Amino acid sequence: MATGLVRRALSRVPSVSPAARAIIYRSHASEAEAQQVEPKAKTTSTPKTFQIYRWNPDSTQKPELKDYDIDLKECGPMVLDALIKIKNEIDPSLTFRRSCREGICGSCAMNIDGRNGLACLTKIPSGGPTMVTPLPHMFVIKDLVVDMTNFYNQYKSIEPWLKRKTPAETPAKEILQSKDDRKKLDGMYECILCACCSTSCPSYWWNPESYLGPAALLHANRWIMDSRDEYTKERLDAVNDEFKLYRCHTILNCAKACPKGLNPGMQIQNIKKLELTSS
Amino acid sequence: MAASSKPRLSGMQKQVLALYREFLRAARSKAPEERTRIESLVSSEFHRNSSQVDRKNFLYIEYLLRRGKKQLDQLKSPDTVGLSSLNIEDSQTKRS
Repeated sequence: MATGLVRRALSRVPSVSPAARAIIYRSHASEAEAQQVEPKAKTTSTPKTFQIYRWNPDSTQKPELKDYDIDLKECGPMVLDALIKIKNEIDPSLTFRRSCREGICGSCAMNIDGRNGLACLTKIPSGGPTMVTPLPHMFVIKDLVVDMTNFYNQYKSIEPWLKRKTPAETPAKEILQSKDDRKKLDGMYECILCACCSTSCPSYWWNPESYLGPAALLHANRWIMDSRDEYTKERLDAVNDEFKLYRCHTILNCAKACPKGLNPGMQIQNIKKLELTSS
Repeated sequence: MAASSKPRLSGMQKQVLALYREFLRAARSKAPEERTRIESLVSSEFHRNSSQVDRKNFLYIEYLLRRGKKQLDQLKSPDTVGLSSLNIEDSQTKRS
């Protein structure tokens, strides 16, 4: 039976002198014994169904919701873990964006059970099947990957960089800012441009090309409120447009959807307030 | 100039033709050898799609239009020198 070495358990060798050390031998099971091990408890499995939107542009098929079953016991807690497991084990053709797996890059933004969020931060909901679809009202490139070029162009259009008319007080050094002025940027600089807010706004659904959307307007406010920036009046005039700013009707879906806990609606109200007092 | 026997073009057909014209216009601004290559590639792709793609498959046609517009924007940039294509044979894939 025993093919390998079997060391019998020895009782603890009492230390005779301080120099001698106690050596403990443990008994090792043989190879055959190891294979015969019986599990103490029955291995349970928690099945969970995911209904994932699938569309391949190169195939002639229409988009569809495909069902995938996985065992939650062998999977991490977040939706991204489940997607990666499905891609590894069940269907390698499942396509989705992901990068940091910790909620800081904004790549894995998608619609999970009707709510926009980051897949790496959304826990897998318990219960019945979970529906995973791409961000709503965006052109789909493949499966869960959407076309973000319009969103990025809108962000570029508000000129999200520091603009000054006068040179800095100390040339080639940082432009100083008080703590209170820096506090004004809190709640805006943390935006990761995941597009969860803009794609949850019904006003952005109906006017994606003309309305800038909560994310771009949040960043517009971030540069308007920056004390170091000297083009505040020009920035306010650039946004002061019937469509660019005033398509916002304070629906506030954006604040609900933001995975970082920001409130773009509040920042948009700030811009509207400044528009009233400036002109 | 339209012949009376030709049917009226739909909005999507006009978009496809406009994209084709834009590609040929962009080709004019490149070097002469490149211009002929761009024209042959673009016309072969458009002709192939016109015969292979179902006229009613709006989803795929719109996807091709968007992809074509992006490629056209890249081609229009003065830094772009030319256009080339790669043919991948769709060999039989083994599925375990």
